[in-house]
This record gives sequence, C-alpha cells and structure tokens, in this order.
Amino acid sequence: MSEEPKPDAKAPAAKAAPAKKTFPPAKFNEKAGRLLKTTRYWPTELWANPWNKPSYRRGALLLGGIILGLLATGAAVGELAVWGDRLYAWLLAFISARGGSPVLAQGIWAVFKGLLVLHVILLNGLWAVWWERKISAHIQSRVGPVYAGGFHGWAQTICDGIKLLLKEDITPAASDAWVHALAPAIVVVPVVAAFAPVSFGRQLAAANLDVGVLYVFAMAGISVIGIVMAGWASGNKYSLLGGLRACAQLVSYELPRGFSIVPVLMFAGSLNISAIAAAQAGYKWGFLPRWFIFYPVVGQLAFLIFLIASIAETNRTPFDIPEAESELVSGFHTEYSGMKWSIFFLSEYGYVLLASFLLAAFFLGGGASPFAFDHLIPSWIWMLGKAMLMMFLFLWARWTFPRLRADQLMDFNWKFLLPWSFANIALAGVWLLLS
Amino acid sequence: MAESLIFYSLAALVLLSALAVVTMRNTVHSALFLGLSLAGLAGIFAELSADFLFAAQILVYVGGIAVLFIFVVMLLGRASDLHLRQINAQWPAALLVCAVAAAGLWRAARSFIAPAATRAPAPTTERLGRLLMGGYAVPFELVSLLLTAALLGAVFFSRLEKNP
Repeated sequence: MSEEPKPDAKAPAAKAAPAKKTFPPAKFNEKAGRLLKTTRYWPTELWANPWNKPSYRRGALLLGGIILGLLATGAAVGELAVWGDRLYAWLLAFISARGGSPVLAQGIWAVFKGLLVLHVILLNGLWAVWWERKISAHIQSRVGPVYAGGFHGWAQTICDGIKLLLKEDITPAASDAWVHALAPAIVVVPVVAAFAPVSFGRQLAAANLDVGVLYVFAMAGISVIGIVMAGWASGNKYSLLGGLRACAQLVSYELPRGFSIVPVLMFAGSLNISAIAAAQAGYKWGFLPRWFIFYPVVGQLAFLIFLIASIAETNRTPFDIPEAESELVSGFHTEYSGMKWSIFFLSEYGYVLLASFLLAAFFLGGGASPFAFDHLIPSWIWMLGKAMLMMFLFLWARWTFPRLRADQLMDFNWKFLLPWSFANIALAGVWLLLS
Repeated sequence: MAESLIFYSLAALVLLSALAVVTMRNTVHSALFLGLSLAGLAGIFAELSADFLFAAQILVYVGGIAVLFIFVVMLLGRASDLHLRQINAQWPAALLVCAVAAAGLWRAARSFIAPAATRAPAPTTERLGRLLMGGYAVPFELVSLLLTAALLGAVFFSRLEKNP
C-alpha cells in the first residue's frame, strides 16, 4: 500500500515509467491524465505473482508466525494429560488431607472434566462462526467481518452473541409451548453428552468408554427428536416441512455414516475412540504414518463416505434442504429467536466439531505426528490441527456446492453411499484376509 | 444405596412415561413420551453396566423407532389426533389382560430375581461379538434372514400397484 507510485498529474506516462511495480499494475488513465491503479481489472491476471502484493507477504508472515507460536506454546506446555494427572493427584491429596473420601475427589474431577468439555464446545461456537464467515467471505471474493475487535473482526461473534442474548424470546401463539421450549434443549444436550468419549489427544478423553463409537452415534441420533419437535411445535407449515425433511435426511444418512466406519473398527478391533487412534501409531518404511486413510481404496472410500454423511448429518449446505432458505424460510427453526435460535446454531457447530475430531481420530491417526522424527510437538496440538483441517473441509464444502433436491438427496444416500459402504466392508474383509 | 436410588428413579421414569403414552390426548405428545420411556430403559441398562445394550437401545429405539413413530404421527396426523382420547371404553378389560400377563411374567421371572451385580462394570461388547459370531452364529443369521424377509415383505405390500 505504501509502495504506490506518486501520481504525477503533469508528467506523461512515458516519463513515469520507472515507477515501482504494483499489483494490479498502474496504468495511464486518459480521463484523469495520470497514472492510476486501475480498479476495473477484470478478469484478474490468474498467474500474476501474488507475492508482489505487500499485504499478501505481510499476511503470510503473520499466519506463519501464529502457527509457529502455537507450535512453540505446545512444545512448552507438553502433553496435557500429564498436567491433568498432576492436578488430579493434587486434588486427591487435598481432599484426603481434609478427611474427605476419594469418591468426592472423583466426583469433583468428573464435574471439572465435564465443564472443560462444555467450554470446548462453547468456545468452538465463537471460533467456528467467525472462521466460517471469513472463509465464506473469501470464497465469494468478499472480506467478511473486519471492524469488531480490530484484528480481522475477531470479536464479531462475541458482539453477535450479546445481540442474541438481548433479543426478545418469542413463542408463537399457534405453538405447543412446552414442546417448543424443550426442543432446543433436546437438540443441544446430546451434543455435549456425545463429546464424553471423544479423544482430544493421547490419553485425553473425558471418559474412556469401551463402546465409545456406538455411544457417540447413539447420542447424535437423539438430536433428531429435538429437530422434529421444533418443527412440529412451532405451529408453522414451513417449520413442519423442515422438521420432516430433517427427520428423513438424518435417519437415512445415519446408516452410511455408521457403516462407513465399520472397516475402521475391523482394522482397530475396538469401539473405543482412544484405542482406535492408538491403533494407527507407527510408520511404514520409516516415514509413512500407518493412518487408516492411507490404506489403499478402503481407507479413502471410508473417509469420503464418512465425511459426506457427516456433512449431511449437520444439515449443511449441499444437504441443507431441512432449512432451505429459498423454499422454507429457514426450516425447523423459523419460529425461534434469540438464545433458543442460537442454541440450534451452537449445536450445529458442536456437531461439526464432533465430526472433525472423529475424522481425525478414525482416519488421521488422532494425536500421532505425521513425521517420524518429531518428538517435540505434543499430541493435542496435532489433534487440534487435524480437527481444524477437517473443519475447513466442512466449511469449504458448504460454500462451494449447490444444494441437492430432496429426491436427489435420498437417491444419493440409498443408491450410492449405502451400497458403497457395504462394499467397503467386504473390501476391508479381503484386506484383513490378505494381510 | 446410590445404585438402587438410580435404579428406582429410572424405573419410575420408564413406567410413568409409558403411562403418559396411553393417557395423553395429543398423539405427538404420546410419541414423545414413548421416546422418553425407551431412553429411560437405556438408562437402566447403563445402570446395570450393560454398556453395549445401553448404546444399542438408544441407537435403535430412541434414534430409530421413536423417531419413526413421531415421523408417522406428524405425517399422517389428523386434527382429531390432537385432542381426542386415545383410549376407548374397553380400558378396564385391557387392564385385566395386562394384569394377568404381568402376573404370569412375575411367576416366570421370580426365580431369577437376585440383587444387582456389585462387581466393577466390565466391557461386554467383545464377548457379545464372540458369542454372536461363534456359538450363536446360526440363530444370529436366521434372525437376520427373518428381518430381511420382513423388510422385503413390507416393501412388497406397501408398493403401489401400477396395473390394478
């Protein structure tokens, strides 16, 4: 920005030739009679070197600095599980010194872990909404929020949250008041509960459940009831249609989603999410991680089916007929306002985060480092990085693909995803027999 | 102490919501209470440390059966479903039949009553899998065959005839 050539009104263009290179290049403007950075520059030069833009260089440096800073912080903090063990030992000693029973310490520790997981979900809401707005903006050649907070509009979600808190909470006259009020709770409680066995790194899960995978899918299934309740209780035909569509879609896509990870369960031999992540430890030929996504054909197919079905489960854009704005106003949450509406939003982002962590644990080796030589960066940093990469896939897909029609959606599920997920189980069986 | 407290409150939840299923005038409310009742049953499984049954109960009954009930009630509902009584004048007879069946079940199940296991909960999934794929493989496959046949039959009979 500071490297623009000084516009000289009197000098002809030929004399202003040794001006510095700018992007887009300055051109002599007949009307103004001086060199101008043209704003009408369309189509943009596809192969122009973006590193000529100072803002591009600065942004890349900043991003690199942030990532390096995060890695350095991670390396300094070390494994979070170690800190947790220390804290628990201290709590146990503190309570037994005062004559309390260890059961009390276990209870306090369980509540503490629950609160931590809850805050992961809440903070994710703040972060993911901002990130989604920035990514959608840049995909559509906009800039998104820039003012609130100063740095790239980072405080925009906080301001939005305050606005949503202050909004009037409306219950329509035609609604079934109790069901209408309960629906957001039925949607959001299973999200929080489903995070219990999710692994956030090595030995970093709130509950070490042996049936972890089944438990997560079971909890995710309960949310459907809340969505249908919201659709029916609003007393609005658009809401009802949205609720019915959501119900049909979620129940259908649960099947390929469940069957697509059966190969992963077969390879790992466990339903415990931490055990599945741990089963992918080690490196083939000394450098290729033994992640399930690198298993030829089976791994990639399972990954794709699970990713697509997860996007459908969160009602996001290629599969957002339950809340299709152009037909149904906004589907099952048309009649919700204020915090009740934002709870639906929060649970959507909660499910996106859940699916990201599950993808990272099932297919990308959980907290394992992609480099055999790396012993410095702790597992939770890798896990978080992989989950954020997966979340980027979700946002990318949402702002890239057009919406499917209701019948195409069902055809795609029952005639494509489900048969291929069955075929994939057979392929996994062949793989296990051969190896 | 804590175990029996949890057990009896869950049992009360299951029974009361099952009662609400038949006494509610609004069919959608009935369907929602059915979901609650099935979820309470899952809670009892969890309390008795049957972890796989707990997850399967929620996955199949709450996330599947109850949702389908609600779906059908909402899709095929008439206006009268929202305020008419769901039971007719035959309810004392039905109660009598239920009482006889319950007495028979009680006599059959009485000899198996024992205090709930007090040992630490152990994962059951692997043992269940070995039983289903080992000793009980043939009955398991027969049940799957039966379910497939029922599924195909349902599709066949609900299909619209093109040439009447």
